[in-house]
Amino acid sequence: MSAQKPEDLRKLGERLDAAERKYADRGAKPPQTSLGIAFRFSTEMVAGVAVGGALGYGIDWLAGTRPVFLIVFFVLGAAAGILNVIRAARELNAEMAKRDGD
Amino acid sequence: MAMNPMEQFAIRPLVPLHIGGYDVSFTNQSLWMVIVIGAITLFMALAVSKRSLVPSRMQSMAEISYEFVANMIGTAAGEDGLRFFPFVFTLFMFVLFSNFLGLLPGSFTVTSQIAVTFSLAAFVIAMVIVVGFARHGIGFLKLFVPHAPIYLLILLVPIEFISFMTRPISLSVRLFANMLAGHTLLKVFASFVISLGGASLIWLKPLAIAPFFLIVAITALELLVAFLQAYVFAILTCIYINEGLHLHDHH
Repeated sequence: MSAQKPEDLRKLGERLDAAERKYADRGAKPPQTSLGIAFRFSTEMVAGVAVGGALGYGIDWLAGTRPVFLIVFFVLGAAAGILNVIRAARELNAEMAKRDGD
Repeated sequence: MAMNPMEQFAIRPLVPLHIGGYDVSFTNQSLWMVIVIGAITLFMALAVSKRSLVPSRMQSMAEISYEFVANMIGTAAGEDGLRFFPFVFTLFMFVLFSNFLGLLPGSFTVTSQIAVTFSLAAFVIAMVIVVGFARHGIGFLKLFVPHAPIYLLILLVPIEFISFMTRPISLSVRLFANMLAGHTLLKVFASFVISLGGASLIWLKPLAIAPFFLIVAITALELLVAFLQAYVFAILTCIYINEGLHLHDHH
């Protein structure tokens, strides 16, 4: 490492500050690809139905009441899936509004 | 020259090993996990070995990744979330290096296996549950009780519970599906190049250049996706840890 004069260091500091200011308002979050968003929403929806169905099937298997709980939890799972998608969309909206805002 | 775009995801045993009726062979999957961990260890160890005040390029990269994850936890999970820094950093680096090394031609993408991503996601959720109960005791169950009239809770509590249980699935499927789709796409376009280049009609041969340029473009996109998915995996881990720590309800 070469011996640096304080003048050099001061200039470097200024340049670093400028660069920091330039990139600060870009937001820490990288952009989402549209394929990524599509994957996100579809998996949220499908996962809700799948988990609901599996839970219902499990309860039926334990209680021997097939198909009562399978049907109930399948519907609840679909509701949970929609809830997941709404939450994901809300998050995304908030993110986009933030990015557009600054 | 039969090309199956899914062949790249096949798991082949390298050292067959059976213990107690279970197949625990050392496979190409295991090999690439070792390579990923080795690469991370080498990268971090080499980068910070000099510990210079003015960092070299390598050291800067290590410091940037450290600060990136630290900022991510700070904003998503608050100050006390930083106790989980080693966990989140390890997870992030593992997924990131798996995704990046998987882009090398001829390599194997560890994160394109649902078994791997689901294990990671299940571990994350299990940890959130343990942390939640350790911190709040039985009060952790309040996570499943939204603000609503009592007669609606009969319906809403199971829905919230199912919604919580979907997390490991959506977390793991997203990473796995992105990796699988991207790599399959690359392979499909690569096979176009070969079949067009080997076409019997002479005027078809130059057309092989078109899918070739597409591959270059898709590879660039896959680099973005590789980073993005590692980021998404890590940030969601932070968000879940935050809920385990602070029981934030959804509005």
